Amino acid sequence: MHGRLKVRTTEEQRLLKEKENQKKLVAYKQGMAFILSTRKKDSYDPEAFAVSSQILHANPHIYTLWNYRKESILLEIENYKDKEEELVKFLEKELDFTEQCILSSPKCYSSWYHRYWVLKNHPVPNWEKEFKLCAKYLSVDDRNLHCWDYRRLILNKTGLCLEKELEFSTERLNANFSNYSSWHYRSTLRTLDVESLEKELNLVQSAVFTDPYDTSAWFYFRWILNHKEILEEKLQEVLESLKQLEELEPDCKCILMAKCWIMDTLYVKDEDQKDDINEFYQKLKQLDPLRKTRYEDAIKQKNS
Amino acid sequence: MGSILKDVELKENIPTTILFAKHIEFLIDYGQQKDTYETVMTDYLKMSGMYWCLTALELIKASPFPKNDVVEFIKSCQDPECGGISASTNHDPHLLYTLSAVQILCLYDSLDAIDVEAVTKYVASLQQPDGSFAGDKWGEIDTRFSFCAIATLSLIKKLDVINVDKAVEFVKSCMNFDGGFGSRPQSESHAGLIYCCIAFLSITGRLDIVNRDNLAWWLCERQLPSGGLNGRPEKLPDVCYSWWVLSSLAILGRLHWIDKNALKKYILACQDLESGGFADRPGDMPDPYHTLFGLAALSLLGQESIEKVNAAFCMPQSVIDRLQIQPQMLK
Ligand SMILES: [Zn+2]
Repeated sequence: MHGRLKVRTTEEQRLLKEKENQKKLVAYKQGMAFILSTRKKDSYDPEAFAVSSQILHANPHIYTLWNYRKESILLEIENYKDKEEELVKFLEKELDFTEQCILSSPKCYSSWYHRYWVLKNHPVPNWEKEFKLCAKYLSVDDRNLHCWDYRRLILNKTGLCLEKELEFSTERLNANFSNYSSWHYRSTLRTLDVESLEKELNLVQSAVFTDPYDTSAWFYFRWILNHKEILEEKLQEVLESLKQLEELEPDCKCILMAKCWIMDTLYVKDEDQKDDINEFYQKLKQLDPLRKTRYEDAIKQKNS
Repeated sequence: MGSILKDVELKENIPTTILFAKHIEFLIDYGQQKDTYETVMTDYLKMSGMYWCLTALELIKASPFPKNDVVEFIKSCQDPECGGISASTNHDPHLLYTLSAVQILCLYDSLDAIDVEAVTKYVASLQQPDGSFAGDKWGEIDTRFSFCAIATLSLIKKLDVINVDKAVEFVKSCMNFDGGFGSRPQSESHAGLIYCCIAFLSITGRLDIVNRDNLAWWLCERQLPSGGLNGRPEKLPDVCYSWWVLSSLAILGRLHWIDKNALKKYILACQDLESGGFADRPGDMPDPYHTLFGLAALSLLGQESIEKVNAAFCMPQSVIDRLQIQPQMLK
């Protein structure tokens, strides 16, 4: 349903496609009927299992077929009770199959979950291999939520080594500052103290200085600034550097907004600064007319 | 300096009015195609497909589908053992399709056609000790399923069978640094999941746990120069996100933080002039999913020729009123 460009086809192409689809329809129906006929039985049917692979390969969203495979796997686990080696072989084949499905549809909930489910039922799961798989998928699409979420499930199983994960997150950010997923991930890793806050502030400042028009880092910036533990001198320092950045990029709304955040914290009761902040919001209304009413609300709130 | 902004450019010859007649034709056509490869391949979500079509038709005041056929179909999808409802016959029961089925039955005022008691038990059985919900017996956890559970139980007036406080606690544990919500604790914020969590909190009357202005800022930043809204930073605009973001802003009382006219222009541009229906972006293939969310968003934007929609349930307000349900809405 997403990103499918409408393409014009000739009548001839359309008829050809229809004929092809008619064949596929018959095959699909026969396959489904065959699988369902074996489903209620209490032993696993390798032939039906193979047919479900074919159908899922074409369409991994058919969740019922993944359920059918889970039922079959449970039967096989029972069957191979005293033969771990054979069971492992069977489960590894299933993992390979899910990988093919994930590769062809990286945003399909069912295949990712099935993979996790298989590993949970695996007598000797190789979690390290899963981190490598995630790294591979993130290198193709570093915003793929399914992959990030899957990685988190695996971490919950293995336990998290903070140092390693911080390093992982820094590496991802260095590869691409504009990756919102990496900033988000970083925010989940630990509670920040005065010292680590300062480090984070330096990191995010270098990101916004690299590209002030990229909004990703600014959300992290704001979150860091919202920590009450940050020292006032540090805030003053940041404000000064923002002013320098503003001279280079006078039309960047995020710089102005960040100035407002800091000044709102620094000068809660200072009437002299109120006019300045009002003026910034007026400028924001011009720079960012889509969100004009939001700035008007901020001005109203400031003056009430 | 300056990153490339991901957005689309609206062309000159785009539709600027709502093509009502075309949409009705599109939705009816969709409901009537029976045995093609394309429709059979989407059987795994047929119940939701029907909810999208029927609700869209209801919002534009046309409901030409024979009610009996629809109700009979839903009955045939209820599992006699567990009580859950499947996407289609020969598919397995799941919370996603249980909600879609209950929504359609509420639309038709025909809840008594199914075993409501069994639905109640099914939903309750999926709540986990930490308050979260599994989508079905295989145990996948997601805040989408928390929303499905709460919305279903609220529509059938059985919220008291689950531990609502625990359910709220789980949703709260999915709140992020940006004020948004993800699918599980520490999962990245995403407009679709934010909608699920905000609608969940609206139905349970617990919007007090939300960091309103922080989240509303993140949400209104989704609007791009084309007027369309994206679902996460640095992503392309999409009609369905117009609904997820807009309904969340409406529940938070911050709908006015985006430019309504610009968004309206974008949504109208996503209509298909030939076949009717809305696509995610101008020039893409239309589908019932984006058609419902396009129309529902236009309704929230105040389009008077479309029925008023309820932001938490994505159902006609008149149906929610008839059921006497009052989800919390902030001013
Ligand atoms: Zn969409």
